[in-house]
Amino acid sequence: MTARSVEQSDQVTEGSLDDLTLVSRARDGDTRAYEQLVRRYQGQMYRLAVRMLGSASDAEDAVQDVFLSVWRKLDQLNDDAAFVGWLYRSTTNRCLNLIRARKPSADVDLESTESAAGYTDPVRAAEVGAQLTALAAALLKLTAEQRTCWLLREVHGRSYDEIAGIVESSTASVRGRIARARAQLAEVMQPWQ
Amino acid sequence: MAVDQSRSGYQLDCGRSLEEVWARLDEVQAGHADEHELGCAHCSTARGSLLALREATAELRADRTEPSLDLVDRIMSAVRANVRRSGAMVELRTDEPGRVEVSEQAVAAVLRYAADAFDGVRARRCRVRTAGRAPDGATLIDVELAVAVRYAAYEPAVLDRLRERVQVACTSRLGLRLNQLELIVDDIYDV
Repeated sequence: MTARSVEQSDQVTEGSLDDLTLVSRARDGDTRAYEQLVRRYQGQMYRLAVRMLGSASDAEDAVQDVFLSVWRKLDQLNDDAAFVGWLYRSTTNRCLNLIRARKPSADVDLESTESAAGYTDPVRAAEVGAQLTALAAALLKLTAEQRTCWLLREVHGRSYDEIAGIVESSTASVRGRIARARAQLAEVMQPWQ
Repeated sequence: MAVDQSRSGYQLDCGRSLEEVWARLDEVQAGHADEHELGCAHCSTARGSLLALREATAELRADRTEPSLDLVDRIMSAVRANVRRSGAMVELRTDEPGRVEVSEQAVAAVLRYAADAFDGVRARRCRVRTAGRAPDGATLIDVELAVAVRYAAYEPAVLDRLRERVQVACTSRLGLRLNQLELIVDDIYDV
């Protein structure tokens, strides 16, 4: 087989390979396999980060940091099937650290968060529904921990156990945070009813 | 919507908790409201807000906003600048002066591609170690190759042919001699 046909067969198949195969190749240092994983999961992680941080540019920076640090530590991953959970954990932690490093007012003051943190047009443009806009704004008024738990559960469909592991808390406290988040979000949704 | 947040469970003025109202949303929507729910203004307002929230949440879940098109490139250039060079170098036989070496990682990549080209086989892990020299000077290598095999393609003869393929790739593409190949079927997939 020539080098050319190796390239071609690789290009044809790599995009459709299963996660486990890609993760085990990436663990061997295969950057092309890792690129497929980046393509597959960057959107999901970005959407979590953008709702966590309220800023498209901060979210992109966070996602870039996450995929680089995951790559660096890939040989520490004991179970290839745990890759996506690991991405969620890394993205969440990266966002929480960024929020903690911000000035305290930036996290609670919606007006300043939106303008100062560059809540940019592409995100806004996609929010055609008024309800979605109201919800996105209300999310940023929750505490970072409540927002994390609510987003992971209600938008990303992670289990209570998994979320408890990610935020290093008990499932009872995760349930509590989600209930509090729901109450506060519902209160804001009232005008749209 | 008036909720008392000082008490646990976010109680409405009527005494019901918001969680109860949330848990019974579908029941009430389906026309199975109890007597209290039928007449209670507090519960009805709370239901309205929770339904609006549920609708907006569904919109948020359906949102497919993507990051900038160049994010993958940015990530991958950072990744490539941090390529893990684990493993040693394998010396290739040469009649010319000087040494020719190839990384174990590169050898592994060639062998993975060789296995991949096999219909119904997906290469996963591949570990390569130098195992000395053959009498003719060719470098001997030990290989551990884990693969996933499509269910329909799985039969012992496939593994024999795969072994042969890896052996040929070693010799013809790399100029290395296969000393030992440990072939591991890691998984069966069904596509």
